[in-house]
Amino acid sequence: MSTQVINSWADAEDDVPAPEVTTNPDGTKTVVSYRQNQKGQKIRVTQKIKEIKVQEKVHPLVAKRRTWAKYGKEKNTPPGPDTRTTQLGEIVELKLGTQWKEMEKQEEEEKAQQSAQVISNQRIKCRLCGGDHFTSKCPFKGTLGDAGKDESSLSTADIVIDPSSPGAPSKFVPRHMRRDAEGNLPARDSSARDDSTTLRISQLNTLVDEHMVRNELLAAYGPLERVALVRNRDTGISRGFAYVSFATEQLAERALNDLNGKGYHSLILHIEWSKKKKQ
Amino acid sequence: MRPIKLMGHERSLTQVKYNREGDLIFSVSKDSSASIWYSSNGERLGTLEGHKGTIWSIDVDSESILCSTGSADLSIRLWKVATGECVFQYEMSTPVRRVAFSPDNSKLLAVTDQVMGHQGTITVFNISYEGDYTNQSAEPELVIKTREGATKVVVAGWSHGGEYIIAGHEDGYVSKYDGHTGEFIQTVQAHGKYNEEKVLSITDIQFAPEDKSYFITSSKDKCSTLIDVETLEILKVYIADAPMNTAAITPKKNFVILGGGQEARNVTTTAESQGKFEARFYHKIFVDEIGRVKGHFGPLNSIAVHPNGSGYASGGEDGFIRVHSFDKSYFDFEYDAERTERAIASGAT
Repeated sequence: MSTQVINSWADAEDDVPAPEVTTNPDGTKTVVSYRQNQKGQKIRVTQKIKEIKVQEKVHPLVAKRRTWAKYGKEKNTPPGPDTRTTQLGEIVELKLGTQWKEMEKQEEEEKAQQSAQVISNQRIKCRLCGGDHFTSKCPFKGTLGDAGKDESSLSTADIVIDPSSPGAPSKFVPRHMRRDAEGNLPARDSSARDDSTTLRISQLNTLVDEHMVRNELLAAYGPLERVALVRNRDTGISRGFAYVSFATEQLAERALNDLNGKGYHSLILHIEWSKKKKQ
Repeated sequence: MRPIKLMGHERSLTQVKYNREGDLIFSVSKDSSASIWYSSNGERLGTLEGHKGTIWSIDVDSESILCSTGSADLSIRLWKVATGECVFQYEMSTPVRRVAFSPDNSKLLAVTDQVMGHQGTITVFNISYEGDYTNQSAEPELVIKTREGATKVVVAGWSHGGEYIIAGHEDGYVSKYDGHTGEFIQTVQAHGKYNEEKVLSITDIQFAPEDKSYFITSSKDKCSTLIDVETLEILKVYIADAPMNTAAITPKKNFVILGGGQEARNVTTTAESQGKFEARFYHKIFVDEIGRVKGHFGPLNSIAVHPNGSGYASGGEDGFIRVHSFDKSYFDFEYDAERTERAIASGAT
């Protein structure tokens, strides 16, 4: 059995010499101590210490109270603050001023800006050019985009759009995203629809249905392309407004001028263009 | 500034107090033990053990020989500050909400609660400093009962020289009684006039540190008022945005410090930033709010200012005491008006 077994790690004696203290002629002390750093190398630390006695005048009563023995829960505890009950808090600021609220707000904003910058610097990476901005905001979008894409970075959108292509996984494609008979993709955004002939009719009585709008209210301005009465999804009761597309813009304008503000089934109609006209 | 956190209490603080020299801090909490701390380094001198219920209030005499605690266990105890021994115990019929030594240490005032069919009172005892302090008379020298038509007293204190007893009522009124005979002199509505709040109870009364000739009240109605002792005239009103539990007047600088925050029972439903758990500094004369100190994460229940104005201690519902010492910028702050006035005054002399 080896005799060099160390029973306790803490008992292991290290070969660090004891610190040397020398008193200098100018009243200072030089302490040379040795210790081992993390790599196991021996380090010599030389400290020069100057002791200064600070005299503070206190009330004799106060000085006397400092010598009192502790009692209660603190009985038999060593002198000095106990870290279990006494700790230094974090630094708090007290900025006095009549505008302290604004000052504080400004500071907070600056901090938020800084942290936002840090985040943007760290995390965001453009998939196209590798810059620190969102991919959608890449200045090289469209020019660099296709070149940057290779097989591995094929976005899921591409796969969805082309479900019939061989090799693509058979994934569910929502109906509104499937190709039509001609092989065209449906327009994604609603702005593609031409709303120039559409009116929004509100303040309709709830008993009015599509049929009444088409054949009673707007019969004189027909034929109508589309009548969409908005109903409550759960109850099916009309919510009192409808979108109506006319054949031409002139018909729509005539209907607007004639019927806006007129009564219909005991309510006064309010008609406007469904989309604000561009001037 | 860097506060010292004192974490010796297990439940929310009910009162903190400095002694006359400001070297000791006395604190009581709902965990039924009182603590005494050295204010310079936050070292705890000791705890006062013996009460069996929430301690609502503590006060120390001007010589720091005796201190008294009023508790919900229906007793008032007198303690020797030097050793932490309990030297006397007064048995009361209801919980004690506030205790206060008179300025000459000869009397002790206690506010007893109006519960269990008992009438609320302000009871005054004579304190004897003879021998080992255990020879006290348990018979009160004076009992001031709740007046006809007035609500119960919740806080009380002595004016200069023990001449008057100033009492704060649950309905926002402040009354003045003769300190020797207990005779009712005057009352004034201090709270409930400046805004429309339902709860008006006065929560704290602290006197001016210089001469006790005026005092500050704090109330659940989100206001604090400065009132003259002699005339009970309301001198200033400080409006806050949350119920205030405590208010203190700073020596040296013309400031007042208010503390409070959202009601303790609503705290769990609020974020720290919305709870308004900050110590607010107001200018005593210009009434403007001039700054806030963050730190607690519950409402502040008690604030005490160091008698020489160098700092303050605040005790919160969160169970911590934070002892602050002011920076230089605090002492440098002045309104332009103050500065010019000082310049004119120094030019004239």
